[in-house]
Amino acid sequence: MNPAPQINPGLPNTSIKQLSTKRIRLRKSLDETKRFIKTQKIGVISLSIIMLFILLAAFAPLIAPYDPIEQDRSAFMLAPTAAHIMGTDDLGRDIFSRIIFGARVSLLVGIATVAISMICGTILGVISGYFGKVIDMAIQRVMDAIMAIPPLILALFIAALLGPAIKNVIIALTIVNIPHFARITRGEMLRIKEMNYVEASRSAGSGALRIIAKHGIPNMMAPIIVIASLTFGQSIIAEASLSFLGIGTPPPNPSWGLMLSGASSYMENAPWMVLFPGLVLSIAVLAFNLLGDALRDFLDPKLN
Amino acid sequence: MVNYVIKRSVYGLIVLLIMISFVFIVMRLVPGDVVALQLSGAGAVSEEQIAQLRSELGLDKSVWAQFLDWTKNAVTGDLGKSLWSKMPVTTLIAERITVTLQLAFMAITMAILIAIPAGIYSAMKRNTWIDHMIRVIAIGGLSIPNFWFALLLIIFLSLFFGWIPPLGYQSFFSNPIVNLQQMILPALVLALSLSASIVRMTRSSLLEVLHADFIRTIRAKGAKEKLVIMKHALRNSLIPVITLIGLQVGFLLGGTVIIESIFSLPGIGSLIFEGVTKRDYPVVQATVLVYGALFMIVNLIVDIAYGWIDPRMRPD
Repeated sequence: MNPAPQINPGLPNTSIKQLSTKRIRLRKSLDETKRFIKTQKIGVISLSIIMLFILLAAFAPLIAPYDPIEQDRSAFMLAPTAAHIMGTDDLGRDIFSRIIFGARVSLLVGIATVAISMICGTILGVISGYFGKVIDMAIQRVMDAIMAIPPLILALFIAALLGPAIKNVIIALTIVNIPHFARITRGEMLRIKEMNYVEASRSAGSGALRIIAKHGIPNMMAPIIVIASLTFGQSIIAEASLSFLGIGTPPPNPSWGLMLSGASSYMENAPWMVLFPGLVLSIAVLAFNLLGDALRDFLDPKLN
Repeated sequence: MVNYVIKRSVYGLIVLLIMISFVFIVMRLVPGDVVALQLSGAGAVSEEQIAQLRSELGLDKSVWAQFLDWTKNAVTGDLGKSLWSKMPVTTLIAERITVTLQLAFMAITMAILIAIPAGIYSAMKRNTWIDHMIRVIAIGGLSIPNFWFALLLIIFLSLFFGWIPPLGYQSFFSNPIVNLQQMILPALVLALSLSASIVRMTRSSLLEVLHADFIRTIRAKGAKEKLVIMKHALRNSLIPVITLIGLQVGFLLGGTVIIESIFSLPGIGSLIFEGVTKRDYPVVQATVLVYGALFMIVNLIVDIAYGWIDPRMRPD
């Protein structure tokens, strides 16, 4: 066993100070987490559901009882039984296994869309809000133009042009979602820019980049996190919608929207083909929406 | 007021112009063009044939020249002809827009009729079981994808009542009963998610107003609770609700695409979908323009409605 590291009594003052601020910060975030768990029961439940989906997606090959793509000609459209707890589809594939693998597509699209649109949207919004004038005008008109088309129509236009692929779904949904982030971060930047501490920082010689990075972005994390959670749920629905229309995830990949699209031809004979993928999809979206609500209550009761 | 409307319309036109140039250029830059698609069934094709078809369709000019031509014609109301059926695009849209407009109108009406009373009730009975139930249903309605709900409704009605909505579309004026049978389900489905967000907004906005000082004064004067809510609080809480409805119209119009495809309704949703997959440039441009214009007009109406609800917000 290694001896436990001794705290050096001769440590210079500054590093003790750094250590303690770090510790305070850690302590503060722990307290915040405790407060979240205590006050936002529904938020905790939805967070656990989301964790469950992440685990399902990560360990899909271990959890799924069957191959999600391989067709079994002896098991067409079987109603749910012990062997196939959610039944099988028109090509004899196990629906439960396909749903588990489908979580991968949904989460991938959700994560990628939210991450990219959050970064791009925040950069555009912050620049727009900080610099104002012509730059602001130009960026805002482009954002207005994107928002002038109903979101699903724009996503459909881009996805259909680029062809069915997961990558293209992500591109389409990212473009649609950038304005949401850009708008909220612009407003926040405009507000923060006028604060006294920013003025103080500026007179101490801080440049634009430093002000944005040090004062701007850390102070607008609350609305960004809330919008991100809600966007996540919307992106999952949008991916399913595009796949349902045949311009999203290409077959034979297991995607919830694609499964529903296939199921719609056999609605009366095999209602379980419609029921389960949609149910899981709704639960996933519900979890993100509830988490978004809980975060909003927790981080900023005024936001609504 | 008139000045304000003009200003907003000019501004809206600029936004539409940016949007349409984006659509115009992107569509022509992305691989897969309409000439290749149209000749794909013809077997061996000579360079000459390709060039001929290209000039027939007016695609031999530069993108910039095409854009100028199109804009010039669009200003006079000529949106071009379909590259496939050769029909004027305006005729195609005129045939189909009534379906989408009827669907959207029915959905909004149903949503308002369901959601605003439910939101008021929820706020009045705050923190009782009925309030909780309304809120649970509302967040559920936001999370359930409308196309899944549509499929479930169809299954439910056909398995338990043996009733299937008549397929296709008949105009309201030629056969109102069949028309309503065809439209009621799709409109209901669209109304669901729309009313979910309206309920939430009505509730929270009304609760906020109910905390205001003037409400306390009115209550102190002995006004009945019903009068307080209906006459004073509701009117003051409607602004955010109406803003939300205006914004939601965008989602509603997007939702019509998928709902039209499930119920095989020939609206502009299916038109743009076919148009993009077949690279029918003029059709897509015109449909996007129509969607943008609809969205813009709705939000202009919303802005005017502000002044009607709250005289303080009338623009000078």
